[in-house]
Amino acid sequence: MAAAALLALAAALPPGPARADELERGEALFDLCSQCHGSQGQGSKLALAPAIAGLKQWYAERQLHNFKSGIRGKNPDDVAGLRMHPMSLSLKDDADITAVAAYVASLSASQPASTLEGGDAAKGAALYAVCGACHGPDGNGIQQMNAPRLVHTNDWYLLSALEKYKAGVRGSNPKNANAIMMRGMAAQLADQQAMLDVIAHIETLARR
Amino acid sequence: MIEYYVVAASTYAKDIDFLFDLIFWLVGLWFMATSGLFFWLIIRFRKREGVPAQYISGEKKDEKRWIHLPHYLVLVCDVFIIYFAVVVWYDVKQDLPPADQTVRVIGQQWAWTFEHPGPDGKLDTADDIVKVNELHIQKDTLYHYKLEARDVLHNFSVPVFRLKQDAIPGRVITGWFEATMAGEWDIQCAEICGIGHGLMGARIHIETADQHAAWMAAESPLSLAAYAPAQK
Repeated sequence: MAAAALLALAAALPPGPARADELERGEALFDLCSQCHGSQGQGSKLALAPAIAGLKQWYAERQLHNFKSGIRGKNPDDVAGLRMHPMSLSLKDDADITAVAAYVASLSASQPASTLEGGDAAKGAALYAVCGACHGPDGNGIQQMNAPRLVHTNDWYLLSALEKYKAGVRGSNPKNANAIMMRGMAAQLADQQAMLDVIAHIETLARR
Repeated sequence: MIEYYVVAASTYAKDIDFLFDLIFWLVGLWFMATSGLFFWLIIRFRKREGVPAQYISGEKKDEKRWIHLPHYLVLVCDVFIIYFAVVVWYDVKQDLPPADQTVRVIGQQWAWTFEHPGPDGKLDTADDIVKVNELHIQKDTLYHYKLEARDVLHNFSVPVFRLKQDAIPGRVITGWFEATMAGEWDIQCAEICGIGHGLMGARIHIETADQHAAWMAAESPLSLAAYAPAQK
């Protein structure tokens, strides 16, 4: 009983620092990811692959598990998700997922260039107050809230994600509670202009 | 012969297997015959003391027949192969028997989307059942498929049906199949379509009429909508 409790506690704890052999394995596995996400994880709009360099390990791991189990990436209208689902299947076990997530986390994050226009950062700041409760006032994400970073993320990807949440393309799988929550949050943004505004504000956070 | 390795689960699978067998045995026969002759000639006319090598131009009549006779016999074999190939091609690809049901198959990098008719038996209605990487069909029912590609070339391949059909962006290609046995098997993409091509697999679920009706009842959006209020 005590052993089971210890194991459960160990599983609940955040992962420790990545080992050298784990990073080496992760780098080898990342070769496949780099075909779309870029050799430095910088992302590619053409491949619909966002920047993932420096993504927190816990978040990368969770998303890879979600893709692999089909909780994410199996909606017929989620073009990018349908590409990631089979890619995640190439990771044969949990150790592979941990290794590649650790490697992604070890890459240096940088703020991608802006590609969107028309966003009003001042208006976005007011809208961001709701987002900041989970993603943090600085947009760096809060693990306890299951919320990933928003800074160092491509603006086109943020817009695409918000549109998918609003349309129910993401966040409609009952097994993905966090995505369901985000779907509710995205519904509060009235239209695409509101999305552009909040994204413009997030970009100012990255420059601070 | 192929059915020992991959079951034949469509009405035309055995016809295609027959073609494979016919080609295998005819080509195999000629391979054995030519190999045997080749080695016999090597041994029969091997180097011997006092026997000079000769240059053969191949212009004499009795020399030419070593080419002519096998050539005519191969042509006869070709006629057999072409005849049966045309018959099978017509039955599988050109003839389109009337459908009992129609499904839409959409290939995209790197997944298959299948749009099944719901209980009303018609596509593009509110009760359609859309599934990713899962095709559910009923045994002994003739299906038309409407094949589309959203991005690049794909190929809808169902090995147990012996079915392969290119999916081409901008075109809707209609074909047919009729399953003869219930079970669950692979669907694959058989046209290189990018880095995830090798992982673009799906499953075909061939169900009996009762199983299929139960699946439709459980999965139809209208059934789910009726079920949802009861959960509140």
